[in-house]
Amino acid sequence: MDVALKIWRYDSSTGERALKEYQVDAPEWVTLLDVLDLIKDRVDGTLSYRKSCRMMICGSCGMRMDGAAVLACKTRMLPIVEEGRVPTISAMGNMPIVKDLVVDMTPFWSKIRAMKPWLQPGYDELREKERIVSQQQVNVINKESLCIMCGCCVSECNSMDADPDFLGPAALAKGFRFVGDARDRATVDRLEDYNSEHGIWDCTRCYFCNERCPKGVDPRDAIAKLGAESIKEGIDRDWGAKHAKWFVTSAKTTGWLRETELVPKTQGIISAIKETRFAIGLAKHGKVPPPVPPHVAKDVDQARALYDLVKSQGVDGALGIVQGEHALGRIEFEHESAERAKAAAE
Amino acid sequence: MKVAYYKGCLASLSAKELDISTQALAPMLDLELDELESVTCCGAGDIHEAEPDYYLHLNARILAYAEATGAETLMTICNVCTLNLRQANWQLKGDDALRERVNRNLAAVGVPPYSGNVEVKHFLWLVAQGERYEVLKQVAHKGLKGIKVAPFYGCQILRPSKIMGFEDPDRPWSLEAIIEACGGEAIDYPAKIKCCGFPIIQAREETALAELIQPIEEAMEAGADAMVTPCPLCHLSLDAWQSKLRATTGRDFRMPILHLSQLIGVAAGFEESELKFKRHVVSVAPVLEKLQA
Repeated sequence: MDVALKIWRYDSSTGERALKEYQVDAPEWVTLLDVLDLIKDRVDGTLSYRKSCRMMICGSCGMRMDGAAVLACKTRMLPIVEEGRVPTISAMGNMPIVKDLVVDMTPFWSKIRAMKPWLQPGYDELREKERIVSQQQVNVINKESLCIMCGCCVSECNSMDADPDFLGPAALAKGFRFVGDARDRATVDRLEDYNSEHGIWDCTRCYFCNERCPKGVDPRDAIAKLGAESIKEGIDRDWGAKHAKWFVTSAKTTGWLRETELVPKTQGIISAIKETRFAIGLAKHGKVPPPVPPHVAKDVDQARALYDLVKSQGVDGALGIVQGEHALGRIEFEHESAERAKAAAE
Repeated sequence: MKVAYYKGCLASLSAKELDISTQALAPMLDLELDELESVTCCGAGDIHEAEPDYYLHLNARILAYAEATGAETLMTICNVCTLNLRQANWQLKGDDALRERVNRNLAAVGVPPYSGNVEVKHFLWLVAQGERYEVLKQVAHKGLKGIKVAPFYGCQILRPSKIMGFEDPDRPWSLEAIIEACGGEAIDYPAKIKCCGFPIIQAREETALAELIQPIEEAMEAGADAMVTPCPLCHLSLDAWQSKLRATTGRDFRMPILHLSQLIGVAAGFEESELKFKRHVVSVAPVLEKLQA
């Protein structure tokens, strides 16, 4: 089949940037990476990109196709050719480009290092007896352990785009891989570190990371797990943590969000006072609903009782998210089954 | 079609105009709304992060009351409610042991059990295709001729796509389809699928505003007369926080922001009593004037 690609070529030494189109003859089974290899072999040997394993495990070949980060080796070309699309290939986002499709991953690695990505078991000498980790304990960090550090999640991270110092989805997912490790004894220190200005609560929940991750790590969920563990450990000084806690308080008192109190409860009274002028502007348009009388949900006593009951059962912190992962892991299978049934019916 | 209607927090509070215009529009689009009363906030992603087990139970409770109405569809009008409810629904449907535990807890506080027979769908999805889309073309008889509208999806109606599942998260089409059915011109711009910054607008305002400015700036440059969003949180951010963009960047965009139900409402010839544009911070008057010209 004929495969065509447009590739953004770039040379950081000269600053030259150009969109060039390439066309090669290729077998139907090729991936994007195979096509790049063919172009480099047959058309233009100066094309630069990273690769190694060709089987979705080394994490080298992250790049953008039509603006979305993918692993080149995981992306089959046949359906794209059949659609008649000529995709545009470019370097990943949120990292400086070195040449063509190669990005400088120095900031990525420095953020990974900042997570102290090694086990801190709390002792130096090896114990005499082997420590057995149960399957249940492994399940807690199963998804985060799948990370191959390709950078696809970082590429479209909206918070990192707005704040380049944000630790970001890959590093924070790595952080949870250790916070959730039953053998690690540095949980509180780690959570204190990850609660920094550019840490957990800088995430804007755009979910691009979950969408882009080629390995099912779901970094946003890992960040939520770190938030849940922080609050469980009482590390809740960040405005983000206070904001999250106010929703819990609202749900168990009035049922609905106590919206007008959210600013002072998040930022504190002094900061809230500084927002008075802004709030008056909003109030003129009915955007500041009066807190009194409170907007109370019908049967809210059920929501209150439910809170006490749930808290007594000990599915605390990250476990509350982990418990739902088995079912969420089945969604793709359910989608596939539904598609097969639909195809069979047609 | 009867649907259980969950309006969520904001449409009951600072974004009442969304509920009012939705309620006015629903019967015209063959949607009989059975509004849920014994329900709470979905947690907005915050309870999911602070107390995830409580998040699951609160959403199970909403789903249980929706199921008790006998409707198959729980209609939402907010991206964040849609994600939170759909995520919980997948978890409860796909894990019998988890659903049994949650149902035992619900029963202990007097809530009916949830069997897993409800589908959570955003109003956008119910209108953007099928027979209702054909009805929409009739309803929007007054049209939006000459109006260029920038569709702004926001995040949590597109991603994670395996949970949302309605359309390609990188090439969505539903808002464009509705704009066109209303006779307006949908304009295209890259940031239509990006974040408005709202979830962190109080905890990290600087970062949030750096996100917020992108879609407004791009929509403006593409010549939009207005932006439309299916999410009241995006609406609040895009509408109310524009004044903060003016204060921090000196740029006064004055970009009118419409809720999806208001956009259709204008095309259907609704009056101010059903649209409540006075509740917007940025005036919608330039759009209405252009329409009348």
